[in-house]
Amino acid sequence: MSDFWPEIAPARRSAMALLIIDMQVDFCAPGGWVDQLGEDVSNTRAMIAPIQRVLAAARAAGITVIHTREGHKPDLSDLPANKQWRTRVHGLGIGDMGAAGRILVRGEPGWQIVPELAPIEGELIIDKPGKSSFYATDLEEQLQARGIDRLVIVGVTSDCCVQSTFRDGFERGLECVVLEDCTAAVETANHAAAMDILKAYGGRWGGVSNTAGFTAMLEHADA
Amino acid sequence: MPDTFPTIAANPYAWPFDGQWNAADTALLLLGFHESTVRNVGAQSELAVAMGLADLAHSLGIAVVVSQRAAEALVSDLALYRSKAVQHRGDNAFFGTQLEADLRQRGTHNLLIAGLPTDGLVHATQRTANDMGFECLLVSDASKATSPARHTAQLRMTTFGNGLFGAVADSAAIHAALAPQGNLHHA
Repeated sequence: MSDFWPEIAPARRSAMALLIIDMQVDFCAPGGWVDQLGEDVSNTRAMIAPIQRVLAAARAAGITVIHTREGHKPDLSDLPANKQWRTRVHGLGIGDMGAAGRILVRGEPGWQIVPELAPIEGELIIDKPGKSSFYATDLEEQLQARGIDRLVIVGVTSDCCVQSTFRDGFERGLECVVLEDCTAAVETANHAAAMDILKAYGGRWGGVSNTAGFTAMLEHADA
Repeated sequence: MPDTFPTIAANPYAWPFDGQWNAADTALLLLGFHESTVRNVGAQSELAVAMGLADLAHSLGIAVVVSQRAAEALVSDLALYRSKAVQHRGDNAFFGTQLEADLRQRGTHNLLIAGLPTDGLVHATQRTANDMGFECLLVSDASKATSPARHTAQLRMTTFGNGLFGAVADSAAIHAALAPQGNLHHA
């Protein structure tokens, strides 16, 4: 599929990565942080199965797979005071003890990637303290070192970390495509709006495709 | 304790989160008020609201920081601030610029943000500011998106989860907090 990438150009598999954002227990599993806040995790949880399919396709095609995890150091030295305050007032603060360990703290059970999507040997893991996968991480350097300039973005949530990462990828000159059937928000209305914003004007910062488009593109891509 | 302005009645919480803001630790960011953008999104009234805030901020000694995309012309209303405008290449006033360093050097923690379009330059910049830890307030009637639905949606995303990217208020709430009769009190 030559129309998967917004700028139609030969796309080699070695120049692509599948970026799976924050598919962590705290965001998409019963007993995780969002669930403990009393929010509905069914939207985010429903993305596990479709992402399993694109992950299998990416692994089979041999393209680079990158997982991100939002989380903070155990001493919370990388946690902005307002981020902690807002989450505490919301009901359960980042760094506080919850049912699956300390909320969004590195190494805790709730911070782990859900077992269905666990990284395997050789896949890159990016630990990020912010919403954007590029903020205070070495993602850009890791991509440059591998000669990767195209990102296929999936994960949660579409209105927050996915949208921030997509916008920041564009700023850095990367070709980014979000797979619409592999990303979700806690609130369905926010997800629909996020997709509208990303698609407007033919895709201001990159493309929006889906699993079928991704697998078809992989079949036609050179090694 | 330093003097602080009264908090601003905002959604989802009274801004700023810690109740502390003054002329020294706050900046007003005016993003993307280019002649072409004001024309394209029809933002003359939002520009007027933003200029009212700029006048108020300037009179109180709050820094007014203007961003300008390379090759775009700023509206003439901003002539006072043009010489120090942050020049950026794309949709994010922090990317590849000195904006963060300048704000930190000045001791800025709090950002009042207004601009065009809400779903473009404004949200890209506010998202990064939030990751950096700045306490952000988006001024709803001094910003306009490429459609009313997109404006509403970005505001919803901003306030989701008790302020995923900060808080939202209209300009009247800011003017009320800074009304001359009570704009400084001891915390």
